[in-house]
Amino acid sequence: MLTALVVIPLVGALITLALPKEKPDLIKRFSLVVSVIPLILVALMLGGFQFGSAEMQYVVDVDWIPTIGASFKLGVDGLSYPMLWLTGIVSVLAIVASWTIDHREKEFFAWMLALQTAMYGVFLALDYLLFFVFWELLLVPMYFIIGIWGGERREYAAIKFFIYTLAGSAILLVGILAVYLATGAETFDIVAIMQAAHTVDPRVAFWIFLAFFIGFAVKVPVWPFHTWLPDAHVEAPTGGSMILAGVLLKTGAYAFFRIAYPTFPQVAADLSLLIGVLGLIGIIYGALAAMAQQDVKKLVAYSSVSHMGFVMLGLAAGSEMAMNGAMYVMVSHGLISPLMFFLVGSVFYDRTHTRMMGEMSGLFTKMPVAATVMAFAAFANLGLPGLSGFVGEFFTLVGSFESLRALVIIAALGLAVTAGYHLWMMRRVLMGTPHTDAPYVDITGRELVVGVPLMALILVLGVYPSLLLSVMNPSVVTLATRLGGM
Amino acid sequence: MEFRLIAPELILAGLGLSLVTLGAVVKKNSRALAVVGVVGSLAALAVVLANFGLTQDLFSNQLRHDAYASFFKVVFLVILILLFTGSAQYVRDRRMPAGEFYALTTLATLGGFLMAGSLDLITIFLGLELLSIASYALAGLLKGDPRSQEASIKFFLVGALTTAVILFGISLLYGLAGTTSLTGIAAAVAGLSSAEFPLLAAAGLFLLAGLGVKIAAVPFHMWAPDTYDGAPTPVSAFLITASEAAAFAVLLRLFAVALPSLAERWQLILGLMALVTMTYGNVTAILQTRTKRMLAYSAIAQAGYVLVGLAVASPSGVSAVLYYVLVYALMTVGAFTVVLLLAGESLGEEIADFNGLSRRSPLVALMVTILMLSLIGIPPTAGFFGKLLLYRAAVDSGMVWLGLATVLNGVVSVPYYYRIVRNMYLEQGTTTAALTPTVPIAIVLILAVGGTLLLGIVPEPLARVVAAISLTP
Repeated sequence: MLTALVVIPLVGALITLALPKEKPDLIKRFSLVVSVIPLILVALMLGGFQFGSAEMQYVVDVDWIPTIGASFKLGVDGLSYPMLWLTGIVSVLAIVASWTIDHREKEFFAWMLALQTAMYGVFLALDYLLFFVFWELLLVPMYFIIGIWGGERREYAAIKFFIYTLAGSAILLVGILAVYLATGAETFDIVAIMQAAHTVDPRVAFWIFLAFFIGFAVKVPVWPFHTWLPDAHVEAPTGGSMILAGVLLKTGAYAFFRIAYPTFPQVAADLSLLIGVLGLIGIIYGALAAMAQQDVKKLVAYSSVSHMGFVMLGLAAGSEMAMNGAMYVMVSHGLISPLMFFLVGSVFYDRTHTRMMGEMSGLFTKMPVAATVMAFAAFANLGLPGLSGFVGEFFTLVGSFESLRALVIIAALGLAVTAGYHLWMMRRVLMGTPHTDAPYVDITGRELVVGVPLMALILVLGVYPSLLLSVMNPSVVTLATRLGGM
Repeated sequence: MEFRLIAPELILAGLGLSLVTLGAVVKKNSRALAVVGVVGSLAALAVVLANFGLTQDLFSNQLRHDAYASFFKVVFLVILILLFTGSAQYVRDRRMPAGEFYALTTLATLGGFLMAGSLDLITIFLGLELLSIASYALAGLLKGDPRSQEASIKFFLVGALTTAVILFGISLLYGLAGTTSLTGIAAAVAGLSSAEFPLLAAAGLFLLAGLGVKIAAVPFHMWAPDTYDGAPTPVSAFLITASEAAAFAVLLRLFAVALPSLAERWQLILGLMALVTMTYGNVTAILQTRTKRMLAYSAIAQAGYVLVGLAVASPSGVSAVLYYVLVYALMTVGAFTVVLLLAGESLGEEIADFNGLSRRSPLVALMVTILMLSLIGIPPTAGFFGKLLLYRAAVDSGMVWLGLATVLNGVVSVPYYYRIVRNMYLEQGTTTAALTPTVPIAIVLILAVGGTLLLGIVPEPLARVVAAISLTP
């Protein structure tokens, strides 16, 4: 089952390359079908998923390179299962959102499908080497997606993204080798190394944790490793931005949950204040930077930095509630930010041909439905109770209050800035008098297909949090016990 | 038995001589020579593979047949076969003297065989000279091209000096040990007093410098960019892969068998040499605009990676070197074959000639991308796994700094390898006419790229082979 998740998109990508390039519609439809299949598989897994268990499920374990102890091991638990859903949903919607791609369609959709393989792989891998292979594999398709179909500064953004994340993962690789050699277990198995890691000399453990931290922090991105993000997100085509913000950022945070924290809980606990402060800086800095932007897409990009700061804050606190909150923020932001990127980068841009706030206004009167969707997304993003953004941030802040009191108070004040830039953006873009008299077509059926599922999920997760919490909680509790018990 | 074990050498010698003769007879038909060359090399490869597991000293210990030597012979022959297959058209187009080209390359390979397959300094030296002298001539085979002449002369002058340096190193070792056999030297060196150590160090230094020239390690690399850039493309590919691999075969053997004490003391020196070599190569390669010159600096950088395996002086270092040498040969021959393909249209000399290649031939562009990713060391390619073994060897023997430096060097190499990828996909070319590789070039590309992918996705079989190979008798 899990192997199929990883393999199907890749096979689909190869078949896409063989399709005739004169028939872009065929290519688009085909890649849509191929990306729906993994989503269906993820849904089917509900049937056999043990909700109360923190154990790995659906495990696949095949020898890969026995000489050095690497295996093809996949598995899913309460931490990765929500991420699989997120990957499936965002991937399908990103394909739909990319319907407007009008040149070199074949390559675009092949790369999008290849990207899906890498994403599923990262969330499923239970072997360090396999994890790293998928982790690196994320870069290549995204490089092309940004570099070929991106905005004006696409080349700069693409190579910056590539080199930045490659540098991070280079350090990560040294960390992986160090932990592999330090435990002496002759295996790359993530779970086995986690169980053997307490034997590692604490000083060595510190350096390994640091290598992991840098490697993952670049992807999250944690301040001050975030500078690639505004460029990449802004220049990427809409489908690419949706995947970047919705899923790729989560791979970094997920890796903290899956690898860095459970393997070295003691170091994580020692560094909790530092990580919390970095998270806090991310929250405040991201919000302030977002407020300063003219470009709406950049505003959304910086708001991602801000929201990922909450994830780091929750991780740093390490309590059950805070980490549940952090996971919740990941899922919620994974739904909200693609929606916002889609609106800003496609729905609005295709009509107004600008992303500058000064150049569009009064959209409520020009296209009421689209503007309402935008307002919905903005309210969800600023954390309005009743929508999913609120739940995660609330849990994170309450759960972290115990151990990181001062940070939480400042972060809560930072929420005011968050609310501020969203409201300001809405006032400038949605309200006021329209800029031109030219009529705009309101949101189309295809665009609603992208928007409505995201809105529905944001709403459902906002009013009924236990839907998601019941999946995550057992695994989060196990992790929190591990952190607290050391 | 002895005959059977040296059969590959005999085949190569016979092949080389018959190619010279044939070349004089069938002047027009260079393709026929290529076919003979490929068939002969395949025969040699078959014999080498059949003898792979056998270990024996031959001819009063002048030659040694073991898995280590056999592995390098396989590498040499793979390179030879791929190059012969891919270069026929280039040889014809550039009016290179075909007989000389095929014969000299074959004889140079025979030199490599002797270097890898001997535990005696005299035989090693003979092999080295056979390889070198053939290479000087090969580099100058484009008779009308001043760059090729410059390449050849520069190579020859530096090479002649190198020969003297190596001979002097050998003479010092002989003076110390009274023998030229590596095992004999090891025994003698173990009993040396500390007063004699400076002499031993001097001998080691001369040999390291001499062989350092052959692998183009910094600071002995000055000749390499000009030679690799100016020499005919298939010759450059041969020098970068086979010639360097042969020098590495000797270096590893020399330090592990004859001078283990020196290898231990020089860990830091060799590590720094590796670090400087890879960093210099990578940084300088970024500045290049000519394809072969860029690949020349990339070769310097890659030699630096392999030096890591030498520096750590451990069994895992040796197996990492073996893995990487084979992988590197595949990647490099693949990359040069693309240059050969473009040379068919008088393109490929400049990196800008790759512009828009993805439109002209999506498949070739994808193959080049895979090769470049592998050269950077991005999974799931063989380049990644080969480097992983090198990092592991470095971190395992406590040289974490060297492992980290190697990994970060991979990042430094992104700009120039990726420039080719970028040009292919992101730039507009001067022409959009479809580019169809000839059948031989297509075969070489499929083998090289397929091998690069296969050894990256399923590394286990080869990893097991190299892990079982040991250097010491």
